[in-house]
Amino acid sequence: MSDLKYNLTASNLSEITRLNIGDKIYEKMQASTVAVAGLGGLGSVVATSLLRAGLGNLIVVDFDKVELSNLNRQQYFTNQIGMYKTDAMLENLKRINPYAQIIAHTIKLDARSVEELFSDVDIVAECFDAAKEKQMIVETVLSRMPNVGIVSASGVAGFGRSNMIETKKISPKFVLVGDSESGIGEGVGLYAARVGIGANHQANAIIEMLIEKKN
Amino acid sequence: MSKLKINGKEKDFSGKIPSYLSDLLEMLEVDSATVVAEVDGKIIERSNFKTAKIQEGQSIELIRFVGGG
Repeated sequence: MSDLKYNLTASNLSEITRLNIGDKIYEKMQASTVAVAGLGGLGSVVATSLLRAGLGNLIVVDFDKVELSNLNRQQYFTNQIGMYKTDAMLENLKRINPYAQIIAHTIKLDARSVEELFSDVDIVAECFDAAKEKQMIVETVLSRMPNVGIVSASGVAGFGRSNMIETKKISPKFVLVGDSESGIGEGVGLYAARVGIGANHQANAIIEMLIEKKN
Repeated sequence: MSKLKINGKEKDFSGKIPSYLSDLLEMLEVDSATVVAEVDGKIIERSNFKTAKIQEGQSIELIRFVGGG
């Protein structure tokens, strides 16, 4: 990358992450794969937090392009308007770690493609906007993919009420984040602050699940 | 006796429990497009809500999703 201020090598980056989190956790994070489904207000934050935590293999999926109306809560920039979110996200993630293993799929996910693309991942992060899409992916992972965990978010709209956003362990493979009731609607918008709290609840739950996973 | 356990709470249907999962959701005014349903620990896919028979004493978990993200 031409705008790199320092001539960082892959081992510069891996060694500092190893120092930050310790050998044992570093090895676990490096061996793990997480799929982030949807790169909006939730997914753009979840992907970033997981990469910074040393995740070895990241899959990001979205079909949409960056729009001006996304910038209130999604981690993109004005010069990225019109780009596919997958391309813009890759660009941003590579600025954090140019050597990261990231696979991007620019498609609209349905039950079949979820099964096809995510069958070998450790955890799926459900980061969709629409309630019925959330339903689709959670149902698919829970009913058809016994070895894959899912961390979903529901109820992150509006502002304030930070402490109502919870991480609920529904089952060993299913975690639900949010207050479960604050949806988007008339007069209720989305803010980077509250969506971001939810997103980092998701990322934090995923990191915990990966570290505590039995090999 | 005509009880179901819904999200951990016992609910008495005074004589007649709904026949199918889709009937139960309608009765509870839950939009089937935004709910993941588990009956006695098993996920019932949305496409099967209309054919999934409900029986007395079953434990039903309904996880409802709202939009935003």
